[in-house]
Amino acid sequence: MLSQPDFAALLITLRLAATTTLILLLLGTPLAWWLATTRSRLRSAIEAVIALPLVLPPTVLGFYLLLAFSPDGPIGATTAALGLPSMAFSFWGLVLGSAIYSLPFVVQPLQNSFASLGRMQLEVAATLGARPLDRFVSVALPLSKMGYLTAAVLGFAHTLGEFGVVLMIGGNIPGETQVLSIAIYDHVEALEYNQAHWLAAGLLLCSFLVLLMIYSANRRFHLMKTT
Amino acid sequence: MIEATLQLSKPDFKLDVSFSVPGRGVTAVFGPSGCGKTTLLRAIAGLETETTGSLSVNGQQWLGASGRRAVEQRRVGVVFQVPSLFPHLTVQENLLYGRKRLTKVTKPIETNELIASLEIEKLLLRYPKGLSGGEKQRVALGRALLAEPKLLLMDEPLSALDQDSRGKLMSLLERFLQEIDIPVFYVTHSSEEVARLADNLVLLANGRVTDHGPIQDVVGAVDGELSRSDTAFSVIEGQIAATQLPDLISVDCGAGIVLQLPDAASLSGITYQPGSGVRLRIRARDVSLCLEQPHRSSILNILPAVIAELAAQPYNGSRVVKLELAGKQLLCKISEYSVQHLELRVGQSVFAQIKSVSLI
Repeated sequence: MLSQPDFAALLITLRLAATTTLILLLLGTPLAWWLATTRSRLRSAIEAVIALPLVLPPTVLGFYLLLAFSPDGPIGATTAALGLPSMAFSFWGLVLGSAIYSLPFVVQPLQNSFASLGRMQLEVAATLGARPLDRFVSVALPLSKMGYLTAAVLGFAHTLGEFGVVLMIGGNIPGETQVLSIAIYDHVEALEYNQAHWLAAGLLLCSFLVLLMIYSANRRFHLMKTT
Repeated sequence: MIEATLQLSKPDFKLDVSFSVPGRGVTAVFGPSGCGKTTLLRAIAGLETETTGSLSVNGQQWLGASGRRAVEQRRVGVVFQVPSLFPHLTVQENLLYGRKRLTKVTKPIETNELIASLEIEKLLLRYPKGLSGGEKQRVALGRALLAEPKLLLMDEPLSALDQDSRGKLMSLLERFLQEIDIPVFYVTHSSEEVARLADNLVLLANGRVTDHGPIQDVVGAVDGELSRSDTAFSVIEGQIAATQLPDLISVDCGAGIVLQLPDAASLSGITYQPGSGVRLRIRARDVSLCLEQPHRSSILNILPAVIAELAAQPYNGSRVVKLELAGKQLLCKISEYSVQHLELRVGQSVFAQIKSVSLI
Protein backbone atom coordinates (compact mmCIF):
# COMPACT_ATOMS: atom_id res chain seq x y z
CA MET A 1 0.00 0.00 0.00
CA LEU A 2 1.02 3.66 0.32
CA SER A 3 4.13 4.47 2.31
CA GLN A 4 4.28 7.60 4.46
CA PRO A 5 6.13 9.73 1.84
CA ASP A 6 3.76 8.50 -0.90
CA PHE A 7 0.82 9.52 1.19
CA ALA A 8 2.37 12.94 1.76
CA ALA A 9 2.92 13.26 -1.99
CA LEU A 10 -0.74 12.44 -2.58
CA LEU A 11 -1.87 15.12 -0.13
CA ILE A 12 0.43 17.75 -1.61
CA THR A 13 -0.76 16.88 -5.10
CA LEU A 14 -4.43 17.23 -4.13
CA ARG A 15 -3.77 20.46 -2.27
CA LEU A 16 -1.78 21.85 -5.16
CA ALA A 17 -4.47 20.92 -7.68
CA ALA A 18 -7.28 22.32 -5.56
CA THR A 19 -5.48 25.60 -4.82
CA THR A 20 -4.45 26.06 -8.42
CA THR A 21 -7.96 25.34 -9.72
CA LEU A 22 -9.55 27.78 -7.31
CA ILE A 23 -7.11 30.56 -8.20
CA LEU A 24 -7.53 29.86 -11.91
CA LEU A 25 -11.33 29.97 -11.71
CA LEU A 26 -11.16 33.33 -9.96
CA LEU A 27 -8.61 34.87 -12.31
CA GLY A 28 -9.83 33.01 -15.38
CA THR A 29 -13.37 34.38 -15.12
CA PRO A 30 -12.63 38.03 -15.91
CA LEU A 31 -9.95 37.02 -18.41
CA ALA A 32 -12.25 34.61 -20.25
CA TRP A 33 -15.08 37.15 -20.14
CA TRP A 34 -12.86 39.78 -21.66
CA LEU A 35 -11.70 37.39 -24.38
CA ALA A 36 -15.28 36.32 -25.16
CA THR A 37 -16.63 39.84 -25.43
CA THR A 38 -13.84 42.14 -26.57
CA ARG A 39 -13.32 43.39 -30.07
CA SER A 40 -9.79 44.53 -29.21
CA ARG A 41 -6.96 43.67 -31.56
CA LEU A 42 -4.97 42.51 -28.58
CA ARG A 43 -7.25 39.53 -28.23
CA SER A 44 -5.39 37.22 -30.60
CA ALA A 45 -2.07 37.97 -28.95
CA ILE A 46 -3.44 37.29 -25.47
CA GLU A 47 -5.12 34.10 -26.66
CA ALA A 48 -1.83 32.91 -28.12
CA VAL A 49 0.01 33.63 -24.85
CA ILE A 50 -2.60 31.74 -22.86
CA ALA A 51 -2.39 28.77 -25.22
CA LEU A 52 1.44 28.61 -25.05
CA PRO A 53 1.53 26.00 -22.26
CA LEU A 54 -0.38 23.66 -24.59
CA VAL A 55 2.56 23.47 -26.97
CA LEU A 56 5.66 24.38 -24.97
CA PRO A 57 7.62 21.63 -23.26
CA PRO A 58 6.92 22.07 -19.53
CA THR A 59 10.67 22.23 -18.93
CA VAL A 60 10.87 25.46 -20.94
CA LEU A 61 8.22 27.05 -18.76
CA GLY A 62 9.89 25.66 -15.63
CA PHE A 63 13.28 26.96 -16.74
CA TYR A 64 12.08 30.53 -17.18
CA LEU A 65 10.14 30.42 -13.94
CA LEU A 66 13.25 29.22 -12.14
CA LEU A 67 15.18 32.15 -13.58
CA ALA A 68 12.41 34.52 -12.48
CA PHE A 69 12.44 33.05 -8.98
CA SER A 70 16.22 33.52 -8.58
CA PRO A 71 17.29 36.43 -6.35
CA ASP A 72 18.11 38.50 -9.49
CA GLY A 73 14.91 37.54 -11.31
CA PRO A 74 11.82 39.80 -11.26
CA ILE A 75 9.79 37.54 -8.98
CA GLY A 76 12.72 36.65 -6.71
CA ALA A 77 13.67 40.32 -6.33
CA THR A 78 10.08 41.26 -5.48
CA THR A 79 9.63 38.55 -2.85
CA ALA A 80 13.00 39.45 -1.35
CA ALA A 81 12.07 43.15 -1.22
CA LEU A 82 8.82 42.26 0.52
CA GLY A 83 10.68 40.09 2.97
CA LEU A 84 8.97 36.92 1.75
CA PRO A 85 10.70 33.58 1.36
CA SER A 86 11.87 32.59 -2.10
CA MET A 87 9.29 30.95 -4.37
CA ALA A 88 11.79 28.43 -5.72
CA PHE A 89 11.43 24.96 -4.20
CA SER A 90 8.32 26.02 -2.29
CA PHE A 91 4.66 25.04 -2.43
CA TRP A 92 3.55 28.52 -3.56
CA GLY A 93 6.15 28.41 -6.31
CA LEU A 94 4.48 25.22 -7.47
CA VAL A 95 1.07 26.90 -7.33
CA LEU A 96 2.29 29.74 -9.55
CA GLY A 97 3.92 27.33 -12.00
CA SER A 98 0.83 25.12 -12.11
CA ALA A 99 -1.46 28.10 -12.57
CA ILE A 100 0.46 29.19 -15.66
CA TYR A 101 0.75 25.62 -16.90
CA SER A 102 -3.00 24.87 -16.52
CA LEU A 103 -4.25 28.32 -17.53
CA PRO A 104 -5.53 27.34 -21.00
CA PHE A 105 -7.40 24.38 -19.57
CA VAL A 106 -9.49 26.72 -17.44
CA VAL A 107 -9.70 29.83 -19.61
CA GLN A 108 -10.67 28.13 -22.86
CA PRO A 109 -13.77 26.27 -21.59
CA LEU A 110 -14.92 29.40 -19.79
CA GLN A 111 -14.34 31.53 -22.86
CA ASN A 112 -16.26 29.10 -25.09
CA SER A 113 -19.05 28.96 -22.60
CA PHE A 114 -19.33 32.75 -22.37
CA ALA A 115 -19.13 33.12 -26.14
CA SER A 116 -21.93 30.61 -26.69
CA LEU A 117 -24.26 32.58 -24.43
CA GLY A 118 -24.83 35.02 -27.23
CA ARG A 119 -25.60 38.61 -26.50
CA MET A 120 -29.37 38.43 -26.47
CA GLN A 121 -29.88 37.10 -22.95
CA LEU A 122 -27.58 39.77 -21.57
CA GLU A 123 -29.24 42.49 -23.61
CA VAL A 124 -32.63 41.43 -22.31
CA ALA A 125 -31.29 41.58 -18.76
CA ALA A 126 -29.97 45.09 -19.45
CA THR A 127 -33.32 46.30 -20.75
CA LEU A 128 -34.87 44.93 -17.58
CA GLY A 129 -32.65 47.17 -15.50
CA ALA A 130 -29.76 44.86 -14.59
CA ARG A 131 -26.35 46.52 -14.37
CA PRO A 132 -23.28 44.80 -15.86
CA LEU A 133 -22.17 42.89 -12.75
CA ASP A 134 -25.77 41.97 -11.97
CA ARG A 135 -26.19 40.68 -15.54
CA PHE A 136 -23.10 38.54 -15.16
CA VAL A 137 -24.15 37.06 -11.83
CA SER A 138 -27.84 36.58 -12.59
CA VAL A 139 -27.63 35.46 -16.21
CA ALA A 140 -24.16 34.62 -17.50
CA LEU A 141 -22.97 32.66 -14.48
CA PRO A 142 -25.93 30.29 -14.11
CA LEU A 143 -25.98 29.70 -17.86
CA SER A 144 -22.26 28.84 -17.83
CA LYS A 145 -22.47 26.07 -15.25
CA MET A 146 -21.18 23.46 -17.67
CA GLY A 147 -18.29 25.68 -18.66
CA TYR A 148 -17.29 26.06 -15.03
CA LEU A 149 -17.56 22.34 -14.37
CA THR A 150 -15.42 21.56 -17.41
CA ALA A 151 -12.89 24.25 -16.53
CA ALA A 152 -12.61 23.10 -12.92
CA VAL A 153 -12.26 19.44 -13.80
CA LEU A 154 -9.74 20.00 -16.58
CA GLY A 155 -7.71 22.44 -14.51
CA PHE A 156 -7.67 20.05 -11.56
CA ALA A 157 -6.88 16.95 -13.59
CA HIS A 158 -4.19 18.66 -15.62
CA THR A 159 -2.46 19.92 -12.48
CA LEU A 160 -2.57 16.41 -11.01
CA GLY A 161 -0.51 15.10 -13.88
CA GLU A 162 2.07 17.85 -13.98
CA PHE A 163 5.69 16.76 -14.02
CA GLY A 164 8.14 18.90 -15.93
CA VAL A 165 7.37 22.28 -14.42
CA VAL A 166 7.32 20.86 -10.91
CA LEU A 167 10.60 19.13 -11.40
CA MET A 168 12.25 22.33 -12.59
CA ILE A 169 10.96 24.71 -9.96
CA GLY A 170 9.90 22.53 -7.06
CA GLY A 171 12.59 19.99 -6.96
CA ASN A 172 11.73 16.85 -5.14
CA ILE A 173 11.48 17.60 -1.46
CA PRO A 174 9.40 14.86 0.19
CA GLY A 175 6.60 16.28 2.30
CA GLU A 176 7.03 19.73 0.80
CA THR A 177 7.21 19.78 -2.96
CA GLN A 178 7.20 16.13 -3.94
CA VAL A 179 4.04 15.44 -5.96
CA LEU A 180 2.64 12.12 -7.20
CA SER A 181 4.07 12.18 -10.69
CA ILE A 182 7.55 12.72 -9.30
CA ALA A 183 7.07 10.09 -6.62
CA ILE A 184 6.18 7.62 -9.39
CA TYR A 185 9.31 8.58 -11.29
CA ASP A 186 11.42 8.04 -8.14
CA HIS A 187 9.91 4.62 -7.55
CA VAL A 188 10.64 3.57 -11.11
CA GLU A 189 14.21 4.86 -10.86
CA ALA A 190 14.60 2.79 -7.70
CA LEU A 191 12.99 -0.23 -9.45
CA GLU A 192 10.13 -0.20 -6.91
CA TYR A 193 7.58 -1.14 -9.55
CA ASN A 194 5.00 -2.33 -7.08
CA GLN A 195 4.76 1.07 -5.36
CA ALA A 196 4.90 2.85 -8.71
CA HIS A 197 1.91 0.72 -9.80
CA TRP A 198 -0.19 1.79 -6.84
CA LEU A 199 0.31 5.45 -7.57
CA ALA A 200 0.19 5.18 -11.35
CA ALA A 201 -2.96 3.05 -11.45
CA GLY A 202 -4.57 5.29 -8.86
CA LEU A 203 -3.86 8.38 -10.93
CA LEU A 204 -5.09 6.66 -14.09
CA LEU A 205 -8.36 5.61 -12.50
CA CYS A 206 -8.87 8.98 -10.87
CA SER A 207 -8.32 10.85 -14.15
CA PHE A 208 -10.67 8.53 -15.99
CA LEU A 209 -13.44 8.98 -13.42
CA VAL A 210 -13.08 12.73 -13.47
CA LEU A 211 -13.31 12.87 -17.26
CA LEU A 212 -16.23 10.44 -17.28
CA MET A 213 -17.99 12.79 -14.93
CA ILE A 214 -17.72 15.80 -17.24
CA TYR A 215 -18.64 13.91 -20.37
CA SER A 216 -21.73 12.40 -18.80
CA ALA A 217 -22.72 15.73 -17.25
CA ASN A 218 -22.18 17.35 -20.62
CA ARG A 219 -24.39 14.79 -22.29
CA ARG A 220 -27.16 15.25 -19.77
CA PHE A 221 -26.87 19.00 -20.19
CA HIS A 222 -27.19 18.77 -23.96
CA LEU A 223 -30.15 16.42 -23.69
CA MET A 224 -31.78 18.89 -21.35
CA LYS A 225 -31.23 21.71 -23.78
CA THR A 226 -32.61 19.91 -26.81
CA THR A 227 -35.75 18.40 -25.31
CA MET B 1 -43.54 63.15 -27.74
CA ILE B 2 -40.85 60.82 -28.90
CA GLU B 3 -38.30 62.71 -30.95
CA ALA B 4 -35.45 60.89 -32.59
CA THR B 5 -32.56 61.92 -34.80
CA LEU B 6 -30.28 58.92 -34.95
CA GLN B 7 -27.26 57.95 -36.98
CA LEU B 8 -25.44 54.68 -36.89
CA SER B 9 -22.82 53.33 -39.27
CA LYS B 10 -22.20 49.64 -39.60
CA PRO B 11 -19.78 48.05 -42.04
CA ASP B 12 -22.56 47.10 -44.46
CA PHE B 13 -25.35 49.39 -43.40
CA LYS B 14 -26.10 52.96 -42.50
CA LEU B 15 -29.01 54.15 -40.38
CA ASP B 16 -29.84 57.84 -40.64
CA VAL B 17 -33.30 58.70 -39.38
CA SER B 18 -35.21 61.62 -38.02
CA PHE B 19 -38.83 61.59 -36.90
CA SER B 20 -41.16 62.50 -34.11
CA VAL B 21 -44.29 60.66 -33.06
CA PRO B 22 -46.78 61.19 -30.23
CA GLY B 23 -45.69 59.86 -26.85
CA ARG B 24 -48.58 57.45 -26.65
CA GLY B 25 -50.27 54.81 -28.74
CA VAL B 26 -48.73 52.26 -31.07
CA THR B 27 -46.20 53.41 -33.63
CA ALA B 28 -45.55 50.82 -36.30
CA VAL B 29 -42.08 50.82 -37.86
CA PHE B 30 -42.81 49.40 -41.26
CA GLY B 31 -40.61 48.48 -44.19
CA PRO B 32 -39.15 45.59 -46.17
CA SER B 33 -36.64 43.19 -44.63
CA GLY B 34 -33.18 44.64 -44.36
CA CYS B 35 -34.34 48.26 -44.26
CA GLY B 36 -33.01 48.76 -40.73
CA LYS B 37 -36.14 48.31 -38.62
CA THR B 38 -34.48 46.12 -36.05
CA THR B 39 -31.38 48.32 -35.97
CA LEU B 40 -33.57 51.36 -35.34
CA LEU B 41 -35.29 49.57 -32.48
CA ARG B 42 -31.96 48.52 -31.00
CA ALA B 43 -30.67 52.08 -31.28
CA ILE B 44 -33.74 53.37 -29.44
CA ALA B 45 -33.28 50.73 -26.74
CA GLY B 46 -29.64 51.78 -26.34
CA LEU B 47 -28.28 48.41 -27.43
CA GLU B 48 -26.29 49.97 -30.28
CA THR B 49 -23.74 51.90 -28.30
CA GLU B 50 -22.25 53.66 -31.31
CA THR B 51 -25.47 55.49 -32.14
CA THR B 52 -25.11 59.26 -32.37
CA GLY B 53 -27.71 62.00 -32.52
CA SER B 54 -30.48 62.71 -30.08
CA LEU B 55 -33.41 60.87 -28.62
CA SER B 56 -35.96 62.06 -26.15
CA VAL B 57 -38.90 60.07 -24.86
CA ASN B 58 -41.69 62.02 -23.19
CA GLY B 59 -39.31 64.65 -21.88
CA GLN B 60 -36.49 62.32 -20.88
CA GLN B 61 -33.24 62.77 -22.78
CA TRP B 62 -31.91 59.29 -23.64
CA LEU B 63 -29.28 60.45 -26.06
CA GLY B 64 -27.98 63.91 -26.80
CA ALA B 65 -25.61 66.62 -25.72
CA SER B 66 -25.72 65.44 -22.13
CA GLY B 67 -24.50 62.01 -23.18
CA ARG B 68 -25.92 58.57 -23.56
CA ARG B 69 -28.13 56.95 -21.00
CA ALA B 70 -27.22 53.30 -20.42
CA VAL B 71 -29.70 50.64 -21.49
CA GLU B 72 -30.44 49.61 -17.92
CA GLN B 73 -31.35 53.18 -17.02
CA ARG B 74 -33.70 53.81 -19.93
CA ARG B 75 -36.48 51.61 -18.62
CA VAL B 76 -37.36 50.27 -22.01
CA GLY B 77 -39.24 47.01 -22.41
CA VAL B 78 -38.20 44.89 -25.36
CA VAL B 79 -39.92 41.89 -26.89
CA PHE B 80 -37.52 40.36 -29.38
CA GLN B 81 -38.36 38.51 -32.57
CA VAL B 82 -37.18 35.18 -31.20
CA PRO B 83 -38.34 34.31 -27.71
CA SER B 84 -35.69 35.41 -25.25
CA LEU B 85 -36.74 34.07 -21.87
CA PHE B 86 -34.00 33.18 -19.42
CA PRO B 87 -33.80 29.38 -19.69
CA HIS B 88 -32.54 28.91 -16.13
CA LEU B 89 -35.48 30.70 -14.54
CA THR B 90 -39.10 29.65 -14.20
CA VAL B 91 -41.82 31.64 -15.90
CA GLN B 92 -42.57 33.40 -12.64
CA GLU B 93 -38.90 34.26 -12.02
CA ASN B 94 -38.67 35.50 -15.59
CA LEU B 95 -41.72 37.69 -15.10
CA LEU B 96 -40.32 39.27 -11.96
CA TYR B 97 -36.71 39.69 -13.15
CA GLY B 98 -37.12 43.33 -14.13
CA ARG B 99 -39.71 44.18 -11.50
CA LYS B 100 -37.37 43.07 -8.70
CA ARG B 101 -34.80 45.54 -9.98
CA LEU B 102 -37.09 48.57 -9.91
CA THR B 103 -35.90 51.04 -7.32
CA LYS B 104 -39.48 51.83 -6.55
CA VAL B 105 -42.71 50.55 -7.95
CA THR B 106 -44.38 53.71 -9.13
CA LYS B 107 -47.32 52.31 -11.01
CA PRO B 108 -48.83 49.48 -9.06
CA ILE B 109 -49.55 47.28 -12.05
CA GLU B 110 -51.63 44.46 -10.72
CA THR B 111 -49.25 41.59 -11.32
CA ASN B 112 -51.97 38.98 -11.07
CA GLU B 113 -54.27 40.90 -13.34
CA LEU B 114 -51.58 41.21 -15.98
CA ILE B 115 -50.74 37.53 -15.71
CA ALA B 116 -54.40 36.69 -16.11
CA SER B 117 -54.94 38.93 -19.10
CA LEU B 118 -51.90 37.42 -20.82
CA GLU B 119 -53.35 33.98 -20.08
CA ILE B 120 -50.14 32.66 -18.55
CA GLU B 121 -51.28 31.89 -15.02
CA LYS B 122 -50.98 28.14 -15.57
CA LEU B 123 -47.35 28.41 -16.69
CA LEU B 124 -45.85 30.18 -13.71
CA LEU B 125 -43.90 27.27 -12.26
CA ARG B 126 -42.68 25.88 -15.56
CA TYR B 127 -39.37 26.51 -17.28
CA PRO B 128 -39.34 28.19 -20.72
CA LYS B 129 -38.05 25.02 -22.40
CA GLY B 130 -41.45 23.35 -22.70
CA LEU B 131 -43.50 26.39 -23.65
CA SER B 132 -44.91 27.03 -27.12
CA GLY B 133 -43.69 30.01 -29.13
CA GLY B 134 -46.85 31.97 -28.41
CA GLU B 135 -46.61 31.28 -24.68
CA LYS B 136 -42.99 32.39 -24.63
CA GLN B 137 -43.84 35.67 -26.33
CA ARG B 138 -46.69 36.34 -23.92
CA VAL B 139 -44.37 35.74 -20.97
CA ALA B 140 -41.73 37.99 -22.57
CA LEU B 141 -44.35 40.72 -22.97
CA GLY B 142 -45.45 40.32 -19.35
CA ARG B 143 -41.85 40.42 -18.17
CA ALA B 144 -41.23 43.65 -20.08
CA LEU B 145 -44.43 45.30 -18.79
CA LEU B 146 -43.92 44.34 -15.16
CA ALA B 147 -40.65 46.29 -15.22
CA GLU B 148 -42.82 49.37 -15.80
CA PRO B 149 -41.15 50.57 -18.99
CA LYS B 150 -41.38 54.12 -20.29
CA LEU B 151 -41.44 52.72 -23.81
CA LEU B 152 -42.25 49.27 -25.10
CA LEU B 153 -40.36 48.01 -28.15
CA MET B 154 -41.60 44.98 -30.06
CA ASP B 155 -39.52 43.51 -32.86
CA GLU B 156 -41.77 41.42 -35.09
CA PRO B 157 -43.03 39.49 -32.08
CA LEU B 158 -45.32 37.34 -34.22
CA SER B 159 -42.93 36.36 -36.97
CA ALA B 160 -41.48 33.28 -35.27
CA LEU B 161 -44.93 31.84 -34.55
CA ASP B 162 -47.09 29.45 -36.53
CA GLN B 163 -50.28 30.73 -38.18
CA ASP B 164 -52.54 29.65 -35.34
CA SER B 165 -50.70 31.15 -32.40
CA ARG B 166 -49.97 34.22 -34.49
CA GLY B 167 -53.69 34.86 -34.90
CA LYS B 168 -54.29 34.36 -31.20
CA LEU B 169 -51.47 36.58 -30.01
CA MET B 170 -52.52 39.18 -32.55
CA SER B 171 -56.02 39.52 -31.14
CA LEU B 172 -54.56 39.62 -27.65
CA LEU B 173 -52.15 42.40 -28.66
CA GLU B 174 -54.93 44.31 -30.32
CA ARG B 175 -56.90 44.50 -27.08
CA PHE B 176 -53.85 44.86 -24.92
CA LEU B 177 -51.74 47.51 -26.60
CA GLN B 178 -54.68 49.91 -26.68
CA GLU B 179 -55.28 49.49 -22.96
CA ILE B 180 -51.77 50.00 -21.61
CA ASP B 181 -50.73 53.56 -21.13
CA ILE B 182 -47.22 53.10 -22.49
CA PRO B 183 -46.03 54.19 -25.93
CA VAL B 184 -45.22 51.21 -28.13
CA PHE B 185 -42.88 50.87 -31.10
CA TYR B 186 -43.88 47.88 -33.13
CA VAL B 187 -41.58 46.69 -35.88
CA THR B 188 -43.21 44.69 -38.65
CA HIS B 189 -43.19 44.02 -42.35
CA SER B 190 -46.82 42.92 -42.39
CA SER B 191 -49.35 45.48 -43.57
CA GLU B 192 -52.04 43.52 -41.77
CA GLU B 193 -50.31 44.04 -38.43
CA VAL B 194 -49.90 47.73 -39.23
CA ALA B 195 -53.56 48.10 -40.11
CA ARG B 196 -54.71 46.27 -37.01
CA LEU B 197 -52.41 47.71 -34.38
CA ALA B 198 -50.92 51.00 -35.37
CA ASP B 199 -51.94 54.54 -34.55
CA ASN B 200 -48.82 56.05 -36.07
CA LEU B 201 -46.54 54.87 -38.77
CA VAL B 202 -42.83 55.29 -39.46
CA LEU B 203 -41.91 54.07 -42.91
CA LEU B 204 -38.35 52.92 -43.33
CA ALA B 205 -36.37 52.12 -46.47
CA ASN B 206 -32.60 51.61 -46.74
CA GLY B 207 -31.98 52.97 -43.29
CA ARG B 208 -33.92 56.19 -43.87
CA VAL B 209 -37.36 57.35 -42.87
CA THR B 210 -39.42 57.90 -46.01
CA ASP B 211 -42.60 59.00 -44.26
CA HIS B 212 -44.01 59.23 -40.75
CA GLY B 213 -47.17 60.44 -39.05
CA PRO B 214 -50.65 59.30 -38.05
CA ILE B 215 -51.53 56.09 -39.84
CA GLN B 216 -54.36 57.53 -41.95
CA ASP B 217 -52.12 60.33 -43.22
CA VAL B 218 -49.23 58.07 -44.15
CA VAL B 219 -51.40 55.36 -45.61
CA GLY B 220 -53.55 57.85 -47.50
CA ALA B 221 -50.80 59.95 -49.07
CA VAL B 222 -51.19 59.34 -52.80
CA ASP B 223 -47.60 60.29 -53.52
CA GLY B 224 -46.20 58.61 -50.44
CA GLU B 225 -43.76 55.73 -50.42
CA LEU B 226 -46.38 53.35 -49.12
CA SER B 227 -48.84 54.15 -51.89
CA ARG B 228 -46.21 53.49 -54.51
CA SER B 229 -45.38 50.11 -53.07
CA ASP B 230 -47.30 46.94 -53.72
CA THR B 231 -48.63 46.97 -50.20
CA ALA B 232 -50.63 50.20 -50.56
CA PHE B 233 -53.86 49.87 -48.67
CA SER B 234 -56.63 51.79 -46.92
CA VAL B 235 -58.12 51.21 -43.51
CA ILE B 236 -61.83 51.83 -43.05
CA GLU B 237 -63.59 51.57 -39.75
CA GLY B 238 -67.16 50.41 -39.34
CA GLN B 239 -69.49 48.24 -37.35
CA ILE B 240 -71.06 44.88 -37.98
CA ALA B 241 -74.45 45.71 -39.52
CA ALA B 242 -77.69 44.71 -37.83
CA THR B 243 -79.06 42.98 -40.89
CA GLN B 244 -76.94 40.36 -42.60
CA LEU B 245 -77.26 38.66 -45.98
CA PRO B 246 -76.77 34.90 -46.21
CA ASP B 247 -73.10 33.81 -46.37
CA LEU B 248 -71.93 37.40 -46.08
CA ILE B 249 -70.79 39.71 -43.36
CA SER B 250 -72.09 43.23 -43.77
CA VAL B 251 -70.14 46.09 -42.29
CA ASP B 252 -71.83 49.42 -41.87
CA CYS B 253 -69.29 52.18 -42.49
CA GLY B 254 -71.72 55.02 -41.89
CA ALA B 255 -73.51 57.40 -44.28
CA GLY B 256 -75.28 54.55 -45.98
CA ILE B 257 -72.11 52.74 -47.01
CA VAL B 258 -72.27 49.03 -46.33
CA LEU B 259 -69.42 46.77 -47.37
CA GLN B 260 -69.98 43.06 -47.86
CA LEU B 261 -67.46 40.31 -47.46
CA PRO B 262 -67.73 36.55 -47.57
CA ASP B 263 -68.51 35.06 -44.19
CA ALA B 264 -65.54 32.89 -43.30
CA ALA B 265 -66.89 32.38 -39.79
CA SER B 266 -67.23 28.66 -40.34
CA LEU B 267 -63.46 28.62 -40.89
CA SER B 268 -62.27 30.95 -38.19
CA GLY B 269 -64.90 30.00 -35.63
CA ILE B 270 -65.45 33.65 -34.81
CA THR B 271 -68.95 35.06 -34.67
CA TYR B 272 -69.44 38.76 -34.94
CA GLN B 273 -71.95 40.61 -32.81
CA PRO B 274 -74.00 43.26 -34.57
CA GLY B 275 -72.82 46.70 -33.54
CA SER B 276 -69.24 45.69 -32.67
CA GLY B 277 -66.57 47.92 -34.16
CA VAL B 278 -64.26 46.46 -36.81
CA ARG B 279 -61.48 47.65 -39.09
CA LEU B 280 -61.37 46.74 -42.75
CA ARG B 281 -58.27 46.71 -44.86
CA ILE B 282 -58.66 47.24 -48.58
CA ARG B 283 -55.66 46.91 -50.84
CA ALA B 284 -55.31 49.67 -53.40
CA ARG B 285 -54.74 47.14 -56.18
CA ASP B 286 -58.07 45.44 -55.36
CA VAL B 287 -60.03 48.59 -56.19
CA SER B 288 -60.93 49.52 -59.76
CA LEU B 289 -62.98 52.34 -61.24
CA CYS B 290 -65.97 52.50 -63.59
CA LEU B 291 -67.57 55.61 -65.00
CA GLU B 292 -70.97 53.93 -65.12
CA GLN B 293 -72.49 51.59 -62.60
CA PRO B 294 -71.82 48.01 -63.67
CA HIS B 295 -74.70 45.56 -63.39
CA ARG B 296 -74.79 41.86 -62.72
CA SER B 297 -71.21 41.70 -61.48
CA SER B 298 -69.69 39.09 -59.19
CA ILE B 299 -67.98 41.89 -57.33
CA LEU B 300 -69.83 42.44 -54.08
CA ASN B 301 -68.96 46.00 -53.39
CA ILE B 302 -69.63 48.61 -56.02
CA LEU B 303 -70.03 52.03 -54.51
CA PRO B 304 -70.42 55.57 -55.81
CA ALA B 305 -67.39 57.71 -55.04
CA VAL B 306 -65.74 60.98 -55.95
CA ILE B 307 -62.13 61.33 -57.02
CA ALA B 308 -60.47 63.38 -54.29
CA GLU B 309 -56.86 63.32 -55.44
CA LEU B 310 -54.66 61.90 -58.14
CA ALA B 311 -51.02 61.11 -57.61
CA ALA B 312 -48.92 63.79 -59.29
CA GLN B 313 -46.93 61.24 -61.26
CA PRO B 314 -47.54 57.74 -62.49
CA TYR B 315 -45.18 55.21 -60.94
CA ASN B 316 -44.25 52.02 -62.77
CA GLY B 317 -47.14 52.53 -65.17
CA SER B 318 -49.78 52.89 -62.48
CA ARG B 319 -51.25 55.79 -60.70
CA VAL B 320 -52.69 55.99 -57.21
CA VAL B 321 -56.10 57.65 -56.94
CA LYS B 322 -57.71 58.71 -53.72
CA LEU B 323 -61.47 58.36 -53.62
CA GLU B 324 -63.93 59.78 -51.19
CA LEU B 325 -66.97 57.76 -50.26
CA ALA B 326 -69.21 59.48 -47.73
CA GLY B 327 -66.34 60.98 -45.80
CA LYS B 328 -64.16 57.86 -45.95
CA GLN B 329 -60.99 57.74 -47.97
CA LEU B 330 -60.10 54.86 -50.18
CA LEU B 331 -56.98 54.43 -52.29
CA CYS B 332 -57.06 52.66 -55.59
CA LYS B 333 -54.26 51.87 -57.95
CA ILE B 334 -55.04 51.76 -61.64
CA SER B 335 -53.01 51.78 -64.79
CA GLU B 336 -51.86 55.08 -66.18
CA TYR B 337 -53.44 54.03 -69.47
CA SER B 338 -56.88 53.90 -67.79
CA VAL B 339 -56.35 57.27 -66.15
CA GLN B 340 -55.74 58.79 -69.58
CA HIS B 341 -58.31 56.72 -71.40
CA LEU B 342 -61.14 57.47 -68.94
CA GLU B 343 -59.94 61.07 -68.58
CA LEU B 344 -60.09 60.88 -64.82
CA ARG B 345 -59.85 64.13 -62.93
CA VAL B 346 -60.39 65.43 -59.42
CA GLY B 347 -64.03 65.96 -58.51
CA GLN B 348 -65.32 63.40 -60.99
CA SER B 349 -68.01 60.95 -59.87
CA VAL B 350 -67.14 57.32 -60.43
CA PHE B 351 -68.03 53.88 -59.18
CA ALA B 352 -65.45 52.03 -57.11
CA GLN B 353 -65.42 48.28 -57.55
CA ILE B 354 -63.83 46.66 -54.57
CA LYS B 355 -62.71 43.17 -55.39
CA SER B 356 -61.77 42.12 -51.92
CA VAL B 357 -62.14 43.45 -48.41
CA SER B 358 -60.52 41.90 -45.41
CA LEU B 359 -61.76 42.10 -41.92
CA ILE B 360 -58.81 42.68 -39.61
